[in-house]
Amino acid sequence: MRGPEAGFGERIAENQRRVFQIAYSILGNAADAEDVAQEAFLRAYQKFGSLREAEKFRGWVNRIVFRLALNRKRGHRRRLTRDTAWKITETRAMVDGAKGAEQQIMLDKLRKEIERLPEKLRSVLQLSLVEEMDAADVGAMLGIPAGTVRSRLHTARKLLLEVME
Amino acid sequence: MKNACEKWKDQLLEAALTGATTKDFEEHLRVCAMCSRELDAVRARKGQLDELLPLVARGAEPPADFQAQVLAAAEAASGASRARRWRVWTLAGATAAIVALMIGAAMYRRAAQTIPEKELAAVQRLAEWRAPSDALLATPGQEILRTMPRLGESYLNVPMKENEEE
Repeated sequence: MRGPEAGFGERIAENQRRVFQIAYSILGNAADAEDVAQEAFLRAYQKFGSLREAEKFRGWVNRIVFRLALNRKRGHRRRLTRDTAWKITETRAMVDGAKGAEQQIMLDKLRKEIERLPEKLRSVLQLSLVEEMDAADVGAMLGIPAGTVRSRLHTARKLLLEVME
Repeated sequence: MKNACEKWKDQLLEAALTGATTKDFEEHLRVCAMCSRELDAVRARKGQLDELLPLVARGAEPPADFQAQVLAAAEAASGASRARRWRVWTLAGATAAIVALMIGAAMYRRAAQTIPEKELAAVQRLAEWRAPSDALLATPGQEILRTMPRLGESYLNVPMKENEEE
């Protein structure tokens, strides 16, 4: 049996962190983010013949994981048990005493406030928080100029600053 | 924040976010202790926000074996796809063979139903065959009755008198 196409593993290694972060920033849940990131790579695998170029692959997989994550977010909620299990793992990894617990509460609150932002601002903010994503990358994904990305990001941060107390 | 200070709210947020202030706002801060305290509070919140925001996207990491999982899933998907293609072609081949067999059988049956000329001629001859004794048993009336008279004709072919009809 023929193995996965040569070079695909390398593309996963280059992009997995960012792809996972895009999904996680939207879904706020590692299990869902992992599923969606995997699905994005599997779709990329099916089209790998036309996505061999690193830049092309990067842009394509960014867009597809973003769309898949939004679809999942709108679509359905995960089973509570699985959700809770992940949350515990994530919290344990981050929490360091009382300060960590407080930070976790603030993070949950922040996520809720981000959900309340208008979609245009929310998308820009969520994508801008991903490592290695600059305004030009976010703009290319959303089909808007980098200047608009920076302006929306500023507005989003201002709104959050106002509501987070 | 006092109602009178509401108009400085936007500048206060801008000052906390970017550090940029206008001359008017700076003058207001010098005389308004409440806004000055509020600015400090908003700056502290901004610091907290800067700390928290990256966690929204970077609060979790993909599992260590993520790459291996994706490769295995890709391999399985491509194997399944090959198996599916093989199944489709096998099914198509089997269907074509069955159709060909059915057409062949129908053609054979049709050919088998055609009666050879030789047999047909023999049957025809048999149908026309009359025993020699038939001629002896024949009556004169049979010859007369063989054809149906037309309207106005008689079996005996006796012409009618014209005046009799009147």
